[in-house]
Amino acid sequence: MIPEYSLGLLVAFAATGIAFYALMRETDGLHRLLLTDLIEVASLAFIALIGTDLAEALILPGLVVGASELIALSEIYRVKEGYTRPPDAGLRIEVMESAPAILAALLVVYGIVLSGFSGGAVAGLGVIFYFLCCGHAERFALLETASGYSWVLWIVAFFIFMILPQYWFFAVMLSGSAILVKVMAKMSLIGTMRGGPNA
Amino acid sequence: MLDIGGDNLFVLEFGDILHYYTPYTATLFLVALIFTGLVIASRPEKQVDIAFGGDAYYAKETTLSEMRFRRFMAIACGLATMGAMGSGDLFNFTLFASLVGIANIGIVAAVKSRHVLDAAYEYGIVAMVATLPLFGGAALILATTGTLSIPALAAGGFAVPLVGKAFLALGVIGEGMAPFYAAKAEMFRAPGAPYVIMCSLSSLLIFLRVVEIVITI
Repeated sequence: MIPEYSLGLLVAFAATGIAFYALMRETDGLHRLLLTDLIEVASLAFIALIGTDLAEALILPGLVVGASELIALSEIYRVKEGYTRPPDAGLRIEVMESAPAILAALLVVYGIVLSGFSGGAVAGLGVIFYFLCCGHAERFALLETASGYSWVLWIVAFFIFMILPQYWFFAVMLSGSAILVKVMAKMSLIGTMRGGPNA
Repeated sequence: MLDIGGDNLFVLEFGDILHYYTPYTATLFLVALIFTGLVIASRPEKQVDIAFGGDAYYAKETTLSEMRFRRFMAIACGLATMGAMGSGDLFNFTLFASLVGIANIGIVAAVKSRHVLDAAYEYGIVAMVATLPLFGGAALILATTGTLSIPALAAGGFAVPLVGKAFLALGVIGEGMAPFYAAKAEMFRAPGAPYVIMCSLSSLLIFLRVVEIVITI
């Protein structure tokens, strides 16, 4: 293969070796969970090394699998250690009072301009920041509904691609805006994850 | 091409991604289907423990919510296994295998017992670490041959790297690790057959399938 690929492969294998060695040495449960995330990153590097459009499409499910296993394991860890009390309100600094509205608005607008998956991530970042700073008296049901409907629109767009290919432009617009709303709604949930009665 | 599966019985194409069944994989698929049906139909077992040295015994109760969750996870595990049996795309196969791993964690972790949760946590870390060789193997094969399609790889003309094959097998062993935790009695002391048996069955099936893939490509 091309030398760049071999070089990258060498680095990825080295990273894997370091990560596994760290996991072997570590005995504390929580730290081992964190170290498995390091291994997930190395596996994403293996996929990214392919370096084609397909790699981009394969990283996403790899990332989802890693994230879902991490969430499941941290839930098991929480139950097994008996941590039930939510953490305290934590950090309060001045920038968290003044900045969120402007920064979140900028990020959301820029995300809408980008549209699609990356746009959803950028806009979602803005919403996360807003929720983190300005409390989270939001309605989970509403977020979930918006996310669900946009997912359906996304699937509808794919059916248009397959059944009525001549309307591809409409389908592109539909899937682009639907995935924007879906990713944004999902990511904004992260901003609310800091304990409290409904978290 | 070393053909251990027999002739194709059925091929369903979505562009370059396809599903196919040979007599070998169709048999495995049917086993998974039948057992998923059994899981849907049956009720959880009720374990009875006898207090040693006396006449006393106590029965373990499975709560309804726990039973529902474990049954859902067992059905999800069965569906993922069935998908892994029919998939003709290496990356889809790895995704189905990791889904089997996640569902196995869920089946075991629903039991609120410290010992069971400890075992489930250890198994979960192994399953999570195993995604590296699993995805890494598929990625290596894609990068060196340019395709993920199992029939295309089986047709020959590609030098499939041995490291890729070994990684794939290693990853599936990691994901299907649950039965090896049978040595840890805590995990299987949890009441709730037939759901726990789904762990063993799905692990066995994905392992049989990866053997077929590694020999064929």
